[in-house]
Amino acid sequence: MGLIKKQEEFKPQEQTEEISFELLIKDLNDEDPQKRLLAARLLGNYKEASIYLVDRLGKETHPAVRESIISSLASIKDEISIKGLIDCLRSDDAKLRNSAVEALSQLPNEVDSCMKELIHDKDRDVRIFAANIAGLMNHPKAIYWLIEIVENDEDVNVCGTALNELAELGIEESKEAILKAKERFKNEPYIQFAADLALKRIDNG
Amino acid sequence: MNVLIVDDSALVRSYHRQILESGGFYVEEAANGLEAYEKALTKNYDLYIVDINMPVLDGYSFVQKLRDTKDLKQSPVIMVSTEQENKDKDMAFRCGANFYIAKPVKPEELLGFCKIISGVN
Amino acid sequence: MDNQTQDNTVLSKEDFERFREFFYEKTGILFDESKRYFVDRRIIERMKVTGYDNFKSYFIAIKYDISGKELQNLINALTVNETYFFREEYQFQAMVENMLPEITSRKKPGERVRIFSIPSSTGEEPYSIALYLLEYWKDIDKWDIEIVSADIDTNALEAAKQGVYSSRSVQNLPKPILQKYFTPLKDGYYKITDDLINAIEFKKANIVNSIEMLKFRNFDIVFCRNLLIYFDDLSRKKAAENLYSAMNPGGFICLGHAESMSRISSIFEARRFPKAIVYQKPLEGNV
Repeated sequence: MGLIKKQEEFKPQEQTEEISFELLIKDLNDEDPQKRLLAARLLGNYKEASIYLVDRLGKETHPAVRESIISSLASIKDEISIKGLIDCLRSDDAKLRNSAVEALSQLPNEVDSCMKELIHDKDRDVRIFAANIAGLMNHPKAIYWLIEIVENDEDVNVCGTALNELAELGIEESKEAILKAKERFKNEPYIQFAADLALKRIDNG
Repeated sequence: MNVLIVDDSALVRSYHRQILESGGFYVEEAANGLEAYEKALTKNYDLYIVDINMPVLDGYSFVQKLRDTKDLKQSPVIMVSTEQENKDKDMAFRCGANFYIAKPVKPEELLGFCKIISGVN
Repeated sequence: MDNQTQDNTVLSKEDFERFREFFYEKTGILFDESKRYFVDRRIIERMKVTGYDNFKSYFIAIKYDISGKELQNLINALTVNETYFFREEYQFQAMVENMLPEITSRKKPGERVRIFSIPSSTGEEPYSIALYLLEYWKDIDKWDIEIVSADIDTNALEAAKQGVYSSRSVQNLPKPILQKYFTPLKDGYYKITDDLINAIEFKKANIVNSIEMLKFRNFDIVFCRNLLIYFDDLSRKKAAENLYSAMNPGGFICLGHAESMSRISSIFEARRFPKAIVYQKPLEGNV
């Protein structure tokens, strides 16, 4: 028979190192990205880790490690984690921002209390991300946040982003907000396009 | 000319598709940078129209990957985004985009750039 | 809605497209036009069971249901769970023609090649890998290969270790291979040779549990096909990250033919081979 050998003969692979929280925190800041990666992953199992993970996220440059930190924060999902993820929305780094949007959209119950503030944030980019998060979420309230943005937001891209999501659904309740947006952005071809499509879907429903 | 539109919003892709098809271009779509890269590996596109903020792989990273890939490094890229500041435009050009248009895109603007590129081709 | 027949058996073109986009976003599976009838039927069935009389309200319900239960039911209804020998054989071809040559070119003589198959289910996949290597890899005698396979379902693992299969399960195997490695039993069943059963390491594992997954390291090739589609986005990402850690730099991972990492994570590099697109963990220096 060909050279297919059984695992037993090669034990080292099987050994799981002893894990301790303290060791993991130490590894989280190790020079070696492999160690940081594994630590970031495993710390998702420890509620106390959130503050360390958020701290590391602020300095981490390695993409795979950052992804793992974000996944772990999303697993822990305590207040510190959620705040840490929301702060990422203000980052200059597109990758970080987008990973945070993805993670937050998976945590509708935890983000709920922050959404109202986010959709009224001074920074229009943050409002755009808030609209993205609302659009990706499985949360009944999301529809009303989107309606509120479409009805009132003065920025064409914020409104446009929320309009994208509402157009997907074609629900009657959003009709008034969409008509207001059409009026508010009379000279914007994209808003007219998106609004018309949304209205068509509502009427066809 | 074969164009790949890369944007996470189906509606935005529809809008850009409408504009480009009216100009006689042939359009395909991808919903994020990784999907776009997989498509780029399988087919020759003459132009990429790329959004910045997308899940899984953002626009900047996607364009960088194109530039790092032997057969794809010359592909023309128009970056289209809600990002407004000069530093975002700089970032776009630094990672290899050829043009940058701010969203929401006006049809004449997008078509204008596409025609320039197809003229060069 | 336009294009509806009298008895509501057909989704409108627009509804089908919106649904297709949504489903692709959620699972990475894209239905083409040819699957139209299949998809329509399944959706109509689910609508009946859940009591929605129009597609729009059903669509909103699955989109906004926090529990994700109905979406899961729909995914189960729309995905084919069948496993059989030499399923998606083109990936095994890519394995012997492209992946293994690259991997072995980086190894020193005496080093092992390790392959991971998860989920093992009832064993068809890990055994298929073994058979393919024995029969089609020209360098099989030059390298030691370990095949490890895992599943969360202990019943499936037990069945895999029994190695008994229906004629339906083996129907894709070339006759010479069937004759060489299987013994026919009663009622059209076949038992795979003990040599192969003993050559595969079967272990229990939950792919989403990062601590459990620590046991699995240094794999050169991973097969994880038609599993991740059943997870929610966060779990899917975690699973991908756990597999990443289980791999050697430069290692390859294969998903199911309709699946793509493009809905999961960008930590892997997409690689195109003549027979398949697979994903690679970046080589040393990039972790």
